[in-house]
Amino acid sequence: MRFLTIAGIVFYTSIIFFIGGILIIFSFNYLPIQDAINALTQYLPLTLNSKIIVGLTGLLLIIISYSFAQLILGKMQQEKTIAFANPQGQVTISLSAVEDLIKRLVRGMPEIKEIRPDVIAGKKGIAVDLRLILASEVNIPDLTSRLQDTIKNKIQETLGIEEEIFVKIHVAKIISTEEKDRKRKETDKEEPRSIPYSGYGRV
Amino acid sequence: MIPEDSRTDLGTIRIHKKVIASIARLAAMEIEGVKRISANFNSDVWGLISGKNPSGIKVDIDKNEEIRINVPLVVKYGFNLPEIANKVQENIQRAVEKTTSLTIKDININIQGVEK
Repeated sequence: MRFLTIAGIVFYTSIIFFIGGILIIFSFNYLPIQDAINALTQYLPLTLNSKIIVGLTGLLLIIISYSFAQLILGKMQQEKTIAFANPQGQVTISLSAVEDLIKRLVRGMPEIKEIRPDVIAGKKGIAVDLRLILASEVNIPDLTSRLQDTIKNKIQETLGIEEEIFVKIHVAKIISTEEKDRKRKETDKEEPRSIPYSGYGRV
Repeated sequence: MIPEDSRTDLGTIRIHKKVIASIARLAAMEIEGVKRISANFNSDVWGLISGKNPSGIKVDIDKNEEIRINVPLVVKYGFNLPEIANKVQENIQRAVEKTTSLTIKDININIQGVEK
């Protein structure tokens, strides 16, 4: 599996290098595009056999790309899970599921305008990084401490785990909702919306 | 796509992997707290091509004719995930063994999301 990943990376890196090199050659006009097209049409005679070879090569490239994407995505998914075993088999919980859980949990809190959770499972336990956008009237130490407790308890309760859960909070922005609403109302009153050409064409 | 088969006096009975996957899907959906069966990369691509919405349940049969089922799940918000996973495993095992008389080695649950 490791060999396939390395082979795939080497394959794609060389293709990207090749395309990059060709683009640079074209951009500096070392080789005019028209000459390249002429050379291609000259050296690739469009007989039935060559068409089949070109078509099969294209198909092979698509299959390789598909397999490689599947391999990488599968690996990425495996790495981002919390796993435990049952007598009937293994249970893996995707970390994005835990992130969903946190988003749902926070939805009932009007003080939090937006949340971006990032969950990382390590050897020491589960680390939750939160980026928050809060309403301005909120007491931040009180809210963040409440949020840390709630998230910690909910994850432990829902996942049924006793591991350490570290909740790190970063308040990225504070939005003043009242001010925004007031400004919006004022602009609506002062500037009645004028519709261009609204008077024309009416009887 | 190897169908599971067994021989009787009258001939061979073959049960396709898709049948086992369908039974597993129905058994999983019976459990309260299961929102839906999630899709995987293959079923996503196949869904795009065919316009259908196939489930991401994967059934593997090894040389000893033991079955391994992988079930990607999305669970409803508010339920205990290990408890749901355990119930799904038990229900799938019961349903597949009852319906097909086949032996199941593993039922691997992969919880991929939480929805309301």
